[in-house]
Amino acid sequence: MNQLINDAVMREQPPNITGKVLKETLDDGMPFDNSMKEVVETDNKAGFKPKITVFHCFNALSSTAGADSNEYDISAVRMPCSSMTREVFLLRAFEAGADAVVVMVCPEGDCRYMEGNIRAGKRVARVKKILDEIGLDGKRLNIYPVPEKDPNTIDRIIKQTVSDLAGLGPNPAS
Amino acid sequence: MIVGQQKPLTEIKAEVAPFSKLLILGCGTCVKTCFAGGEDEVATLASSLRLAFKKDGGQITIEELTVERQCEDEFIKEAAAAIARNDAVLSLACGAGVQMVANRYAKSPVLPGVNTTFIGILEKQGLFTEKCLGCGDCVLDVFAGICPVSRCSKKLMNGPCGGSHGGKCEVNPDTDCAWQLIIDRSKDFGQLGRLSTYVPPKDWRTSNAGGPRKLVREDHII
Repeated sequence: MNQLINDAVMREQPPNITGKVLKETLDDGMPFDNSMKEVVETDNKAGFKPKITVFHCFNALSSTAGADSNEYDISAVRMPCSSMTREVFLLRAFEAGADAVVVMVCPEGDCRYMEGNIRAGKRVARVKKILDEIGLDGKRLNIYPVPEKDPNTIDRIIKQTVSDLAGLGPNPAS
Repeated sequence: MIVGQQKPLTEIKAEVAPFSKLLILGCGTCVKTCFAGGEDEVATLASSLRLAFKKDGGQITIEELTVERQCEDEFIKEAAAAIARNDAVLSLACGAGVQMVANRYAKSPVLPGVNTTFIGILEKQGLFTEKCLGCGDCVLDVFAGICPVSRCSKKLMNGPCGGSHGGKCEVNPDTDCAWQLIIDRSKDFGQLGRLSTYVPPKDWRTSNAGGPRKLVREDHII
């Protein structure tokens, strides 16, 4: 079951990213590309403050309050189960200006409604394809299983998302 | 039901590109059941198109509406005001629905957003399979309720051929051999003997080979 969630992108411990480190770290361990560094610095100079929309099952995560920061804006959508993740909600988050959308679900076997996280994983995978087709890049949308009530996970995931956005830049359709 | 599949986004985008105000018109019957053109699909497609146009620096205004059935005049009347407000209609109905809308609203371009695929059933959630070709001369009584016209790759009326292996078709190993199914099912209710009767070649005049067909029910015409 987790494979389905993983297919849509699940990473191991995201790196700890702050300040200068942000500019020197790219996802997937790829060596830093100087041209990309320029983009990151340009974006920072231009004041690119990432907007991240988080859809989360409240059984997996009660709130996103622990991830607040001045470096990015977070909008949270609490759901009683991740099965309520619908394609159109994810797309509308991008229409509303999100640079990245993150879906947080219960881990394998932990969904109270049996298969909510599987359904969410499949819908995320479909919307990633739509985003690729549009040219927005499916990497802007990711799904992560979150161990119940783990206060550190949200922080790690958001930092990884911010790191990804350093390479992707702002949402070109916002 | 009629099973359809939404066209690729790039194809739809090219279709609607000449228009700045678009109505996406869904159909709440067959294509809703097969996740191609119901309310949810209308909303998802509208959002995808808005993002796609905005990303390219273009602009499009999209209105969304889903009627109960697009193949009935009574239902598409409800769309009159919305159609009048827009430059074009992108219909997410089957081909019949698209033409019904085009027929009623002669001054509006009506574009297809769905590829009508086949007449079939929901085998399980998310899996639709073809069961009928609409040949106009049903022979399911002869073949134990399994249609060789739509389900045998060679449309054999006196099968099986020599290409059935382990109950699967040689044309596509993912396809059950219709004749294996016919024989198994005939055995189940003791009618295997019926299959020894020669079935003459199918008369295709009742199919659409001679152009569009018409069904007249005088008892319902006032």
